[in-house]
Amino acid sequence: MQRYDGRPVDWGGHLVLVHDTERQRRIGLAAWARRSLDLGAKVLYIEPANEPGDRSLLNLLRDHAVPVDDALESGQLEVFTASEEAYSPEWQEDVVDKALAAGYPTVAWSGAATTAWSVMSPSTHAEIEWATDELCRTRPVSVLCQYAATLPQATLQTVCAMHGAGVRESQLRTRPVPGGLELAGSVDASNERILRSALVAAAATAPSDGGAFSIDLSRLEFLDVAGARAFVTGTTPHRIKGGRVRLKGPRGPVDTLLHLLQVERTDGFEVETTP
Amino acid sequence: VTDLAPITTGRYSHDLLVHDCDDELVEGALSFVAQGLESGGHVLVHSTDECVEMLRDTLKPHPRLEFGLDKDLYLAPMSTLFAYQRQLAESTDATDLWAIGTVPFGEDVQGHAAWSRYESLVNEALGAYPFHGLCTYDTRALPESTIAAARATHPCVSTGDHRSPSPAYLDPADFLADPLAGVPRPPAERPAVTMTLHGLEHLSPARLLIHRAVSASALDSAAADGFVCAVNEVLVNGLVHGRAAVRLALWVEPARSTCLVVDDGPGVPDTLAGYRYPERDGSKGLWVARQLSGDIFIENPPDGGARVLLVTG
Repeated sequence: MQRYDGRPVDWGGHLVLVHDTERQRRIGLAAWARRSLDLGAKVLYIEPANEPGDRSLLNLLRDHAVPVDDALESGQLEVFTASEEAYSPEWQEDVVDKALAAGYPTVAWSGAATTAWSVMSPSTHAEIEWATDELCRTRPVSVLCQYAATLPQATLQTVCAMHGAGVRESQLRTRPVPGGLELAGSVDASNERILRSALVAAAATAPSDGGAFSIDLSRLEFLDVAGARAFVTGTTPHRIKGGRVRLKGPRGPVDTLLHLLQVERTDGFEVETTP
Repeated sequence: VTDLAPITTGRYSHDLLVHDCDDELVEGALSFVAQGLESGGHVLVHSTDECVEMLRDTLKPHPRLEFGLDKDLYLAPMSTLFAYQRQLAESTDATDLWAIGTVPFGEDVQGHAAWSRYESLVNEALGAYPFHGLCTYDTRALPESTIAAARATHPCVSTGDHRSPSPAYLDPADFLADPLAGVPRPPAERPAVTMTLHGLEHLSPARLLIHRAVSASALDSAAADGFVCAVNEVLVNGLVHGRAAVRLALWVEPARSTCLVVDDGPGVPDTLAGYRYPERDGSKGLWVARQLSGDIFIENPPDGGARVLLVTG
């Protein structure tokens, strides 16, 4: 099981796996599949009809020593070929309800955004993504959608907004918490734009009438200057409207950097250090 | 030698007082402190316990006159430099700061160069502020090479009453290129860690490698974290402004670690970048890195690219 800070990573809800490289996608996907199978979930995966062998889920999981053959034989793991029908909310609800009726406690579902775009337009897929967020709120379902980090910033923000359970990236995990967002892992120049997008999306739902949007940093292990800048740029829309931002519980090198940069002197920011 | 005008309030000055007896020191201190107090400034007298006691007996108490000990205020060159800078840059009152005293060169002459570089870099880091330093060097206690470095790092020599330009003065960039600055070189041994970075996605594995290696040395945990953070900022600079690949080499010795970062880009336009207090929206990476590492030296070799050497404190 992949762990951060000694605690297991939460793979529940509607999640987005943002990856810079194919290697990062494979590691993230293998961790998600292993965790889902361990939990006894029904695991569903959508692939294009012509997926090359080195990208296919089954080969990828075998490479990571995930026991796929037993899961395939028992029906716990199913791989679907992408079609327009496989993305319709009705079909998805039906598949999920059947799995739950068969006794699986939860359903875990994943596919790459590019797979969806091979059978429908990105805008149609975006509408389905919003519906999927709803599916995850009403049923014990975890959906992990895979997107490349090279998307334009505005698209990345929308992608973060439509995945209510947070972002999974090779170094960074985000998770919604009451009143804000929790970060775990590391933020540096390689993934600061993903954090920026996640913050814009999360802060957009926070009240801006003087209330504070909090960013829980107690599980953040590393931050560099570019990452700290993402705190400022990612919350600018929220602060322009009068909202405040509270950075909670920075530790070790993260606390040192925030202190040096004096982020608390930036308009709308406050830092709450744990004694 | 032409006398210079007295110190101007609101501007920066960094003078040198070389003395070979206590009377010269006391006379210079009385004059400097009187000028500071009369012009409305805050005055700090700092030195060893013994020297501070001697000056405290001579100077009349004043609400804007305070005394400090080098062992409290001057712990390490870069932390002292940036503490002064922060105090001046973030001060909300317009009162000048006048500081007279010594720097703690210590017994080990090999270690004098780090404080000599501090003296030179004061001109870069504090040059924009209403700061007046009078640094006192005792020829009875300090070797000739350290006095020579002082003449190269202070724009003016002073007796307290009279000031004149120091003919040996070198700008900080020139001083760092002079043997007097004692800029360290990478160790001759094979490095403990080498790595080539082709993109920003390699930052994280580089940090892991460096952290593992320096954690095995005597460096405490906070200093190790700071060093890793400083190297990360230098690597980001190389990857963003230089040209990939960026190569790093790390040497871990019991007393200090050294990291060399090399790229093939156009070089760093200002090798003193990161000493001045950053503009509000300006680049802060090197400024932060310089505060988290003992020393950082930037060099643009004649055959192109940039070489950045980081040394733990």
